Amino acid sequence: MYGGDEVSAIVLDLGSYTCKAGYAGEDSPKAVFPSVVGSIDQVGVVDEVKPEKDSEITYDSKNADKTKTRKLYVGSQALGYRRDQMEVISPFKDGVVDWDIVDNIWNHAFRECLLIDPKEHPMLLAEPSSNTPQQREKAAELMFESYKVPALFVAKNAVLTSFSSGRATSLVVDSGGGSTTVAAVHDGFVLQKAVLTSPVGGELLTDCMMKSLESKGTTLRPRYSFKKKEIRQGEFQIINLDFPNTTESYKLYSQRAIASDIKESVCRVPDTAFEETAYANVPMTSYELPDGQTIEVGADRFKIPDILFNPSLVLTIPGMESFTSSTSVSGLSQMVIESINRCDVDIRRELFSSILLAGGTASMLQLKERLEKDLMEEAPQAARVKVLASGNSTERRFSVWIGGSILASLGSFQQMWFSKAEYEEHGVSYIQRRCP
Amino acid sequence: MDAKDILGLPKNSFPGAQEKKTRPQKDSQRKPDGIHREVYALTGGMAPLMPTIEISHLKKRQYSEKEEKISWQWLPFTSSARPDNLQLYHWVRVVNGVPPTGDYSFAKYNKSVDVLKYTDEEYEKHLTDPTWSKEETDQLFDLCKRFDLRFIIIADRFPFPQTRSELNLKYLYMTRALLLARAPSSTDVSGHPIVKEPYNMTHEVERKRALSAVLSQTRQQEQKEAEILAEAKQIMESRMASKVNMTHSAEEVELPDNQIGNEGAEAAAHDESALPSPNIHLSSSAATPPIATVECTSTPASLRMLRVYLRTHALDQMVQAANSTAGLRTIKRVDQTLQDLGVHLKPKVPTKSVCAEHLELRKEILTLLNLQKQLQNREAEATANRDNTYAEASSTPKRAYRGDAERTIVPDSLGFGGDRVSKRDHKRKVPGRFMDAPPSPPQSKRPRKLKSSDG
Repeated sequence: MYGGDEVSAIVLDLGSYTCKAGYAGEDSPKAVFPSVVGSIDQVGVVDEVKPEKDSEITYDSKNADKTKTRKLYVGSQALGYRRDQMEVISPFKDGVVDWDIVDNIWNHAFRECLLIDPKEHPMLLAEPSSNTPQQREKAAELMFESYKVPALFVAKNAVLTSFSSGRATSLVVDSGGGSTTVAAVHDGFVLQKAVLTSPVGGELLTDCMMKSLESKGTTLRPRYSFKKKEIRQGEFQIINLDFPNTTESYKLYSQRAIASDIKESVCRVPDTAFEETAYANVPMTSYELPDGQTIEVGADRFKIPDILFNPSLVLTIPGMESFTSSTSVSGLSQMVIESINRCDVDIRRELFSSILLAGGTASMLQLKERLEKDLMEEAPQAARVKVLASGNSTERRFSVWIGGSILASLGSFQQMWFSKAEYEEHGVSYIQRRCP
Repeated sequence: MDAKDILGLPKNSFPGAQEKKTRPQKDSQRKPDGIHREVYALTGGMAPLMPTIEISHLKKRQYSEKEEKISWQWLPFTSSARPDNLQLYHWVRVVNGVPPTGDYSFAKYNKSVDVLKYTDEEYEKHLTDPTWSKEETDQLFDLCKRFDLRFIIIADRFPFPQTRSELNLKYLYMTRALLLARAPSSTDVSGHPIVKEPYNMTHEVERKRALSAVLSQTRQQEQKEAEILAEAKQIMESRMASKVNMTHSAEEVELPDNQIGNEGAEAAAHDESALPSPNIHLSSSAATPPIATVECTSTPASLRMLRVYLRTHALDQMVQAANSTAGLRTIKRVDQTLQDLGVHLKPKVPTKSVCAEHLELRKEILTLLNLQKQLQNREAEATANRDNTYAEASSTPKRAYRGDAERTIVPDSLGFGGDRVSKRDHKRKVPGRFMDAPPSPPQSKRPRKLKSSDG
């Protein structure tokens, strides 16, 4: 029953931080690139022909009366190159999706990274577990109309993560770039009443790291702003380059790249809740910045990851006071417990014993142990708590994509595609029935 | 070699000659043609009995063995499991240019649950329910069909707030009614599992309530519960122990004691919302059966569990406690005295006052016996001191040992019993103790622990 049958489907997962795309049946996505775009607004100017590495698509902006066009640059290569007046924008802004940008990103993935023609391949899209029906329909419409895919299926992230670990029932804790989502999956379906999200994600942690370093006096110099010149052998002198036309958002984007690297290499989740006094004398770790400076990171190593468990720590970081939450943001363990308690009583035990960790931020060291420990304290004794995470950090980052790859290559899945014929016959709202 | 020198034996050249002879033989064995010596040794030094690789296998296998031609092609397929005719492509093993026919191999896994569909009239006739509207019912059945009766998910997606058990119940009730309505005779459908076993709603509700109570306790609550239970247990045990040690224990006290135990259990039971307290029921039922009849069969441990208090058992324990200061012989003396006085060894009617009196009597008898023995010992000492001038070696140790016996064994039996004891001590003790004899009398007045002289 679980036999595989390749139909050369494509799996596409547009996350808040990176976009992953690749063929179904493979064990990792071929195309991974940031899901932000660089855009340069050009007012009525004819575009110059740029080298082929950039994807150029000009679209009218939303205000139809203005003749502003903008050029979008997608992909890590395009974004890595600094351009004047290039703004960095994300397709997800406060819950509203900019379909323009999404379209561009998909296009880049298909035509430049995977080099395929979407007309020939059934498409599996991964969507957030708390996606609204309207967004789903819009995505389906976009796929069928502009890309003319033969068949489509939209699956929730939590279900795919659950499949990637071989289970039909589990509680998925997905902590990605933009947010952390806790969702319960039962028998392959997400229990929508038990889905909880929190805005604490990898990007927030990176911001905290940046602000914390700045408050301690270190300036993160973006890579484009300096040049190393070799004076003597082995010694370099830093020459500052000045680009006055660089936008603030691009500068922030480059700084964030450095800060997130610091975060990934240096930070560890503390074993118990973080206290300022306890960690005041912890030994410092040194890290060398790209411009040659060496910084020492001490208590921040443990403070930053603990924000996942205790979001109120954010307010203690100078410069982050603007992070006010309209709804109280709870820590990771409370979210897990609350999500389980919202489920039916009969499955709670099973959920407790199969908690899955997924997402880029979940690769932080010691996160699994800390979560397990916290949950064992809070959970009732009758339930046995078990947190599972694949050992490989690549698998954790791409677990959603991998689950999609597994699903789309199953023989018994081939009857579940939402085909173009059905779309034309029943309309786009039929997708709600076909893709539960 | 040296041994041979010592012994003067000639050094044999025989074994050496033998070795040389055997060596060339082995060499000839080791080198067959065509194979290296070591490789040959791998097989155990012998040629294999059967050839493992046939030369014909080493030649390229001819496809002329099978007449079929196999190639893999990327071909479209349709599946009967799909509602439309979507054509997807996959790799197909093509034999002799003929693609395989037949349905998609995975189509047979498309199974779904039979959910009955009803028409409007049927709804009107059989299924109207004042608490539920038709739209709700329609939606419920629709969801059941989509999700294959996975009620947890159905409850999750159901737009109106209902618990899962209610939905389950509703579905089963409806289906049952439909089946019954449609069947020509009731006997046909009685075999159907839905008709046979009605959904026990109350049981489900109770079960879920209990389960949720167990699972929703936080760690602190559980710790508190465990503490309370441990405390209650301690209190009960200390009460039992104190009951045994203290003399007054009335039946009226017994019941309040059980009640107090019950209250303790109830207090604990309140925290464990779901667990019934069997203790309450047991103790209230155990107070009623006649106590005297149970005495022989029940063990103390089970007694304590049942929180039943047996007078005679307690009395026995008290008697034992009292007798612990006396020897076995003394106990027998006491019993004998009781019998002489005409008192039963175990009171026939063990009420509080009777038991108390009985114990008092026993204690007084004990005291009497002790005093008698001490008197006798004093007299014996006095006579011993008088006879000390013509003391023999055997008698003085006897007396001395009697003194020792006094020192160590105070509550001893009268008369001949005491002599017998002292004789035994005489055998055991070392003569050196004779020196300690004189200062012993004043110490003898202090009651000492009984030494089991009878062995």
